[in-house]
Amino acid sequence: MSKVVIIGGGWAGCAAAITAKKAGADVTVLEKTDLLLGLGNVGGIMRNNGRYTAAEEIRALGAPELIDITDRLARHTNIDFPGHKHASLYDVNLVEPMVRRVLSAMGIELLLETRVIDVKIKSNTIESVLTASEEWIHGDVFIETTGSTGPMGNCLKYGNGCSMCILRCPTYGPRVSISQRAGVEDILGQRTDGEYGAMSGSCKLSKGSLSPELVMQLEKEGMMVLPVPTEDVNMDKLNIKVCQQYALKEFAENLVLLDTGYVKLMTSYYPLDKLRKIKGLENARYDDPYSGGRGNSVRYLSMAPRNNSMKVDGVSNLLCAGEKSGLFVGHTEAIATGSLAGHNSVRLSLGMPLLKLPRVLALGHLISYANEMLKEPEGRKNRYTFAGGKYFEQMKETGLYTLDIESIERRIREIGLKDIYTYKLV
Amino acid sequence: MLKILDCIDAGSEYCPCHLAETGECIMCSQLQGKTFCDCRSWKGVCIYQEFTNNRYQKREQRQSKLCHILHREEVSEELFILRIKTHKDMARELNVPGAYVFLRSSENADYYDTPMSVMKVDEHEGTITTALQIRGIKTKALKNLNEQIEVRGPYWNGIMGLKYIKGLRGSKVLLVARGVGQASALPVAKKLVISGNKVTVILDKGSSGIFTETYFNELGCNIVHKPLLEGKGFKIPQETLEYMKMRIQEDEIKLVFSGGSERLHEGIAEFLLSLQEKPYFTCSNDAKFCCGEGICGSCHIRLKDGSRIKTCKTQLNPFLLYEGRINL
Repeated sequence: MSKVVIIGGGWAGCAAAITAKKAGADVTVLEKTDLLLGLGNVGGIMRNNGRYTAAEEIRALGAPELIDITDRLARHTNIDFPGHKHASLYDVNLVEPMVRRVLSAMGIELLLETRVIDVKIKSNTIESVLTASEEWIHGDVFIETTGSTGPMGNCLKYGNGCSMCILRCPTYGPRVSISQRAGVEDILGQRTDGEYGAMSGSCKLSKGSLSPELVMQLEKEGMMVLPVPTEDVNMDKLNIKVCQQYALKEFAENLVLLDTGYVKLMTSYYPLDKLRKIKGLENARYDDPYSGGRGNSVRYLSMAPRNNSMKVDGVSNLLCAGEKSGLFVGHTEAIATGSLAGHNSVRLSLGMPLLKLPRVLALGHLISYANEMLKEPEGRKNRYTFAGGKYFEQMKETGLYTLDIESIERRIREIGLKDIYTYKLV
Repeated sequence: MLKILDCIDAGSEYCPCHLAETGECIMCSQLQGKTFCDCRSWKGVCIYQEFTNNRYQKREQRQSKLCHILHREEVSEELFILRIKTHKDMARELNVPGAYVFLRSSENADYYDTPMSVMKVDEHEGTITTALQIRGIKTKALKNLNEQIEVRGPYWNGIMGLKYIKGLRGSKVLLVARGVGQASALPVAKKLVISGNKVTVILDKGSSGIFTETYFNELGCNIVHKPLLEGKGFKIPQETLEYMKMRIQEDEIKLVFSGGSERLHEGIAEFLLSLQEKPYFTCSNDAKFCCGEGICGSCHIRLKDGSRIKTCKTQLNPFLLYEGRINL
């Protein structure tokens, strides 16, 4: 049986675990913290704009599990907020345990609090990975989904310092780039001013710290827009933001709040004293990052060069997904790339040709497009998501954006990929 | 065996140190002149952040302090024991396995500083006890001190493999200690006993005599007397090796500590590597320390992969220290 080892238990790693397992592999997920889903524990936004199409494509390809969980746990569906339509918001407080139960029930081995720090490599093939507790974990194929966020030194050098985010580097230790350890140089994302990295795009406020009237309205509507006092509007902040789909004028002039269980504040950071000037937020405090008044985590400092089947260049048995595989933003993008990497890990172990999703699918198009852009200096200053920015425009222009589930299924059936992820290969 | 290098001082009040200022930090890639983080080892503190917060300067480093000698006991012609009054803070910080201080007479220059393992600590009284063996110029200069002594500390890297000692609970352990190496074995035994481990100690008087038996007895250790090195080649006698093998296999020993010279450590490492089920290997750090701060280079050793290690500050798996020197 093929042994697939996944390093990083975020959305991409979990998605890879599911499709690798379905294709018949023996799957182990190594996660450095005590929670799966990584930044997904403080995310929540699904199905906004082109992500709707992408989510349905993932389902039709045969990996509906994670999309179904986020649908089932949606606190709000069909929400519109500036620049975004038909979003659904999953409950961040409930999603991780449910994902964990689903993965465990599938027989996927989950090793939490297990930080991978190095690899043993022979002739471009990784034999095993070394954990911080000095254990070697062997595998036939490895998938790196360690993301590109942090650690503390990077957040300091390229941001405003450690803001104490959900990744909790001080406690569980920092992310180590596995591809780099295997001798493949990381690719770096940039901001428009050429500086490296970009800052995570949202903070979360503690619901109990907001006024009951505001909470009541937010829970009813799912979203709220509060005008920023004119003297506090800061347009420059949009430039450093990861999520270009939210780097809109409306997001500088207003505070956009979303109800994800926490109160998601769609800005990288916002000084607490200024925040408390706004009606209803007089007692506000941050739940994530704890220092959301000062900064947020810095991302895109560690991407691996890869092909469109998600295999890392220069290492024979390493695939990658999620932010590790490009300048992607969001859970849907992580699940999309993770599912493909997981499926292909089994193909790779069996010596089969790897699956490449064609560009007639939004998923295939994004994966190839982001890869092309990663090779261009200007392309490294953009982010790629179904939810907005340059890529969503492309989706609309090429006709890939649709809310018609039947046409999505038809499209996938026509190219012979319906339920491809459900085929047992081993 | 890939090496994981930990700095003993990382996260302490002495971190960041001179090495951060000069781009030679043992743990932090950013402070080794690299552009991005690559934290293979981690002690819960971002040294780069500490350095930045400290305005890109080292923290204040350890200073020598003149301390009173409270008691002096002659064990043999070569060995004497000093009980020294220090600050309570210092005593508390030295109350761990691997702790050591630099000692010298106040009449001598700084370069007379000589490292000595802390054998016992009384936190309440603020005293430390060390055993000194007269070997060379620096220890001879301490021979006649009775009243006052310069003490620089606290230092902690007197033992390699500390994390195995600190992490072990409810297991059986074998300590071997020879000569003045007994001094470093005593705090190890104390820590292991407190953590609920059963400790057997093999003692060899070496050239300094047995001076720890009472203390090991007080801790409830099982004491065995056996020669640990003999002959011109300083080899571990076959009979001792067989005894150790039997103990390790029958008692399911989880950790072995070697307190003594490099010859002893090499012998123990070679013996343990020959076993199918290898216990953790830990040993006293027998490199030649001079400054204790990673600067002078006297403690540098070269590993099998060609890299050089500052052993006064670096913690690593002791097998790595000796694998290049053993004929396997």
